Amino acid sequence: MRKSVVLVVLALLAVGLAARGSGAAPVSTTTVAGAASCSYGAVQPDLLKKGVLTVATDSPAYDPWFVNNTPSNGKGYESAVAYAVAKDLGFSKSHVKWTVEPFDASFAPGPKSFDFDINEISYTSERATVVAFSVSYYDVQQALVSLKASPIVKHHSPAELRTYVYGDQIGSTSLAFINDELRPIHQPSVFNTLNDAKSALQDDRIQALVADTPTAQYISSSEIPHSVLVGQFPSTGEHYGLLFAKGDKLVGCVDKALDKLKANGTLAKLQRQWLDIYTSVPTIKP
Amino acid sequence: MPLRGSREGAYLDEQILLAAGAPPPGAFAAGGGGSRLFGGRRAAAVSTVSTVVFLGVVVVLFVFAPGAAAVRHTFFNPQQMWQAFRGDPSKGLYSVGKGLILNVEMFLIAEVLILFCALVIAVLRQLRNPVLFPFRMLAVIYTDVFRGVPLIIVIFAIGFGAPALYIRGISTQSDFVYGIAALVLSYSAYVAEVYRAGINSVHQSQVAAARSLGLSQWKSLRYVVLPQAVRTVIPPLLNDFISLQKDTALVSTLGAVIEANRAAQIDSSTLFVYSSYTVAALLFLCLTIPLARFTDHLIARDVGRRMAGGGAIR
Repeated sequence: MRKSVVLVVLALLAVGLAARGSGAAPVSTTTVAGAASCSYGAVQPDLLKKGVLTVATDSPAYDPWFVNNTPSNGKGYESAVAYAVAKDLGFSKSHVKWTVEPFDASFAPGPKSFDFDINEISYTSERATVVAFSVSYYDVQQALVSLKASPIVKHHSPAELRTYVYGDQIGSTSLAFINDELRPIHQPSVFNTLNDAKSALQDDRIQALVADTPTAQYISSSEIPHSVLVGQFPSTGEHYGLLFAKGDKLVGCVDKALDKLKANGTLAKLQRQWLDIYTSVPTIKP
Repeated sequence: MPLRGSREGAYLDEQILLAAGAPPPGAFAAGGGGSRLFGGRRAAAVSTVSTVVFLGVVVVLFVFAPGAAAVRHTFFNPQQMWQAFRGDPSKGLYSVGKGLILNVEMFLIAEVLILFCALVIAVLRQLRNPVLFPFRMLAVIYTDVFRGVPLIIVIFAIGFGAPALYIRGISTQSDFVYGIAALVLSYSAYVAEVYRAGINSVHQSQVAAARSLGLSQWKSLRYVVLPQAVRTVIPPLLNDFISLQKDTALVSTLGAVIEANRAAQIDSSTLFVYSSYTVAALLFLCLTIPLARFTDHLIARDVGRRMAGGGAIR
């Protein structure tokens, strides 16, 4: 008797879940945003929520891309870019809503909980088969951070670079850079977060970490005492793009906005304002 | 309830078996020696129909759901699953299969150490000599603390804490060693309690008989109680080790141990699909299912012995 009651309850639960599942079917955005219409009114059907631009990033949000882990303060390069794009599309600052999207979840199938995600995500052609990317809002170079006492500060010829123990945050293209370009003898360590990687560097568990130049500069100048930015590597053509759901119609209008911001010098101005300490970083060859 | 009389002792055994997922012995007796899983012919028909309906619902959900194609592409892409299994350095993909070897190594080393440490702790808790009171207290505190603290925090505390101490010999170990140390610390606390349940399940009259034969307290524990206790708890012990196999994946948080789960994470973030996780899940199943079946076999054998003996035969 009791068993059958349990079975019935389970069955009801299953049906309920199934119903919920089909209720939450992906919102199809079939309205074609015409090439010319990127006005405030024209983009409304493509939004998660009408009248609001929902922007996502991970938590913690790292400097100098964000400041004080508070995306909504408009400070930091990525926050500033998000607000500049919003302004171009006709959204006031108060109509930009921030939401937390862990990196791992940002490319999950199913409906997205944001209009776009701005989280230092590099474009690759493989990734672009699953999600959509905007055009570049930042062209990335990788850089090397170590403690000042480390031999890598002086000895970083291509052959010498192979001999060190590197570490990196999971999901970062820096790991691929280490494996492809530096080709170290020791397997690099891969940490859950950048903070774990920094901690490992401090405790000599890794000898150097690789990150994009602004992040690397921030770590060495403000975060880890006695650390130094050894140098940055030449560009491999990598760039950061805003991440959208595959097939999202909003991409076209955001691309236009970014093109405009690039052409009128806004992006360059924001880079100077938030990322400007990097012009004098020496370049080293991998 | 004091675990002294024979009925309570048997009750405890039963609880252990129930905890290990076995149906109560009575369930088998009622079956009259028929097939345990399927019962009679009518029952077989009912279970067949319900299985078909259940699988049908699953298939319908999986094939016809609005997002089914996307889910299949992301989770069950055969080509990407194969890539993730083998690894492909030219695309930045790590091999999940190679990673699994590390899981197995960690598991095997940790298991041996846990079996030993936990037994020591359980025995310490059992000793009644007043001189040993501090050890008994330590054993109690140890099991309380390490059963209560989540394993991942223990791993972090050791893996990130020990190197920061700069103590020679301790701070220069590899993440592999720190990870195993954390697994042993945490799991020994659980397994010690399993042992203790086994020790408690041995009837007090056994000890009395041993003592009356002139065996010391230690010898009666060693030659009379422990052999019976350990046999009783083998199924729940194996249960803990199935759990340990999976938890070796947590060691990857330290960075340097690229085991199956971490390899899958890297592949997933490189290609933006989750097929690599599916591969890792399947590989873990290949490890745990045989052990689970073996556990079932041991439980069945134990129950069979009990039924046949009728008395206090173990």
